[in-house]
Amino acid sequence: MVELLLLSRLQFAITVAFHFLFVPLTLGLALLVAGMETIYYKNKDETWRRMADFWGRVFKINFAIGLVTGLAMTFQFGTNWGAYAEFMGDVFGPPLAVEALLAFFLEGTFFGAWIFLDRSRQKLKAFSMWMVALGTNISSLWIITANGFMQNPVGYEMAADGSKVVMTDFFALLTNSYVWYMLIHTLLSAYLLTAFLIMGICAYHFLKRNNNEVFRKSFRIAVAIALITAVLLPVLGHGYAQYVAELQPAKGAAMDAVWETGSRVPMYLIQVPDSSTGSNSVQLLEIPGLASFLYTGSFNGTITGLNQLAQDELPPVGMVFWSFRLMTILGSLFIIEALLGLYLQKSGKLYTSDKYLKLLMWSIPLPYIAITAGWIVAEVGRQPWIVYGLLKTANGISSVPISDVLLSIVLISAFYLILMVFEIYLIKKTVVNATGAE
Amino acid sequence: MFDFLTHDMLTVIWFFLWCVIWGVYFIVDSFSLGAGLLAPFIATDKVQMIQIQRSVGPFWGGNEVWLILAAGGTFAAFPLVFSKMFTFLYLPMMLLLIGLIARGISVEYLHKDESPRIQKALTWGWFVGSLLISLVLGVAFANFFKGLEIASGGVYMGTLLGLFSPYALIGSILFVLMNVTSGALWISIKTEGAIAAKAGDLAKKSTLTVLVLALVYLAYSFVGIDGFTINYSATPALYLLPILAVMTTALAVFFAKKDREFPAFCSNLLALLFVVQSGLASIYPYMLKSSVSPEYGIDIFEAASSHMTLSIMLGGALVFVPIVIIYQLWAYTLFREKITEIEQVGY
Repeated sequence: MVELLLLSRLQFAITVAFHFLFVPLTLGLALLVAGMETIYYKNKDETWRRMADFWGRVFKINFAIGLVTGLAMTFQFGTNWGAYAEFMGDVFGPPLAVEALLAFFLEGTFFGAWIFLDRSRQKLKAFSMWMVALGTNISSLWIITANGFMQNPVGYEMAADGSKVVMTDFFALLTNSYVWYMLIHTLLSAYLLTAFLIMGICAYHFLKRNNNEVFRKSFRIAVAIALITAVLLPVLGHGYAQYVAELQPAKGAAMDAVWETGSRVPMYLIQVPDSSTGSNSVQLLEIPGLASFLYTGSFNGTITGLNQLAQDELPPVGMVFWSFRLMTILGSLFIIEALLGLYLQKSGKLYTSDKYLKLLMWSIPLPYIAITAGWIVAEVGRQPWIVYGLLKTANGISSVPISDVLLSIVLISAFYLILMVFEIYLIKKTVVNATGAE
Repeated sequence: MFDFLTHDMLTVIWFFLWCVIWGVYFIVDSFSLGAGLLAPFIATDKVQMIQIQRSVGPFWGGNEVWLILAAGGTFAAFPLVFSKMFTFLYLPMMLLLIGLIARGISVEYLHKDESPRIQKALTWGWFVGSLLISLVLGVAFANFFKGLEIASGGVYMGTLLGLFSPYALIGSILFVLMNVTSGALWISIKTEGAIAAKAGDLAKKSTLTVLVLALVYLAYSFVGIDGFTINYSATPALYLLPILAVMTTALAVFFAKKDREFPAFCSNLLALLFVVQSGLASIYPYMLKSSVSPEYGIDIFEAASSHMTLSIMLGGALVFVPIVIIYQLWAYTLFREKITEIEQVGY
């Protein structure tokens, strides 16, 4: 059973991680391309048409994989997480079905329309892209609503025999405080990722001294978005940390590796947690009371330590801790890079600042890493629960032959690998070949 | 919401809606699957390949969402069935998934790269994906009608090989051929030139094969499948479904012979719908029928979600399904011109 659990989790991790590589860019680019299409419709300025064309091409390649790998997620709930599906169907099913009705149909239908409509029907083309953007962004609301229940169950009661949850209040599901925190955090990080990808691609062309108006304008928009989102994310994250510490004490304590309950808990700039001893093997550069402040809002606040919590209900501390650290460090880097970009652009030095441009290019993967790390904090941090406090992950799996799961992991991984190579090849070709003048 | 309906009534309504959603999926995706099945064989050059791709390009994505809705709707309305269906048929479902991904990526990327080798690989990716989708769904649904080997306590005894009974094979081949017919007729409606003529000729033959195979399949269902006729005996009006299925397949043959592609296309879609519904009508109240013994099957009342969940979703479906249908139909009117032979990959 242990192997089956491990394999089921591995399969889920592979499918969701791969799917989620394509989602954030889709969310951000859809809105930007829709905006470009609309401005071109209004002012008939060729620069905007070229921008819509170029970023639209990137969007198309990215969107197609996001769409088809999303299918794998729906399948997973039945194939590998059947017990979870039975336990949660009453609550989890409706948001998923509504997502299909409200979001997927918009995306699927209007994506086709946007691609195949030519510029003689620009108004419809722009409209179609707005519908795609609306669809993708609505979609995130519904999937986070479903996920929100797994993090913070509300509006339900247990069935008399304890076999499943039954929905009692749909409105409570929608107004779940966790959902709104997470939705804004997720959308902001998606927009940040989009902005950094655009900045990185523009930087590549600036380095080639190909700094025409298409890339200049794109950069100006992207750097503004990057700055706004990079600053808002930690501000929001601060509120989120306090919220999590209250909602899921184990996740909160693991994020900063607080082992013993106490008030005026310090934060260490250098810290290495060790689960085997239930303490930190290294802790240096202490800032008194900062952890208390971050997690409770007061420097004297009390944090419940990991050693005082139920030991069989702790997440893997190291994984959560390091992911959280990585995310926050990258988050700070994003603010610096965005500020620097704004300064260089305003002072007119941007197009010749080769070091900064190279930095931007190499920064393209960083938001992806930060988002994955954040996702690990949120989802691994809730372990061993699949539905917090109600159902353990171990009890959520389907009982299927291990060989079947193994075979499917190999099949899907191989297939995803091919897709990945193909996607990178296509995007790279699109980006490298673009001159901004076509 | 819907407090005037009892839980059982809501459950029956959802079973009906479930049948409708699957029916809609089967017909709307049939022509894009069919085009994929035909593309590598009937397109003689790049121009014709582009014509075929453009004939389904704007529509396949929106159409496939009906499948996601069918899966999501099963999850929400009948979680137990969703879980069992995907768990019992683990490997076939994985193949279906691979098929869906391969088809989607192939159609979208077909002409994004000029390399003939990549284009060839994607053409075959489109074909293999379409074939996998058609075959797996054909085999799965034939097995739903025949009954899965579910023993007491919901324990599944079936094997992968056991799914491929002669009945399931006939069912899946029929399904593949009906998709091919749909695709051929669609191409001949939507395009101009040599490819349209070729597709039209092909449809003349395939409609005839469909007619013969549909007769065999339906006869097999009624004579050779345990318990298939129980609901039909109880409600003889249901016999209209197979009768209409045979009539519409015959009509498709008739119209195809007369080169009237559009009525032939519609007849074929209706035939597809009636064949599927003939089977679904036989399994009620079971969603997963047991071939071991009827009482081991999973019925809709056992599997249904709560009154609240079913009624919220019914409300959602009543409001949004019509809206979806309206904008999808509108999208078809956006691209109503025939695709000529001089078409470029202008996207």
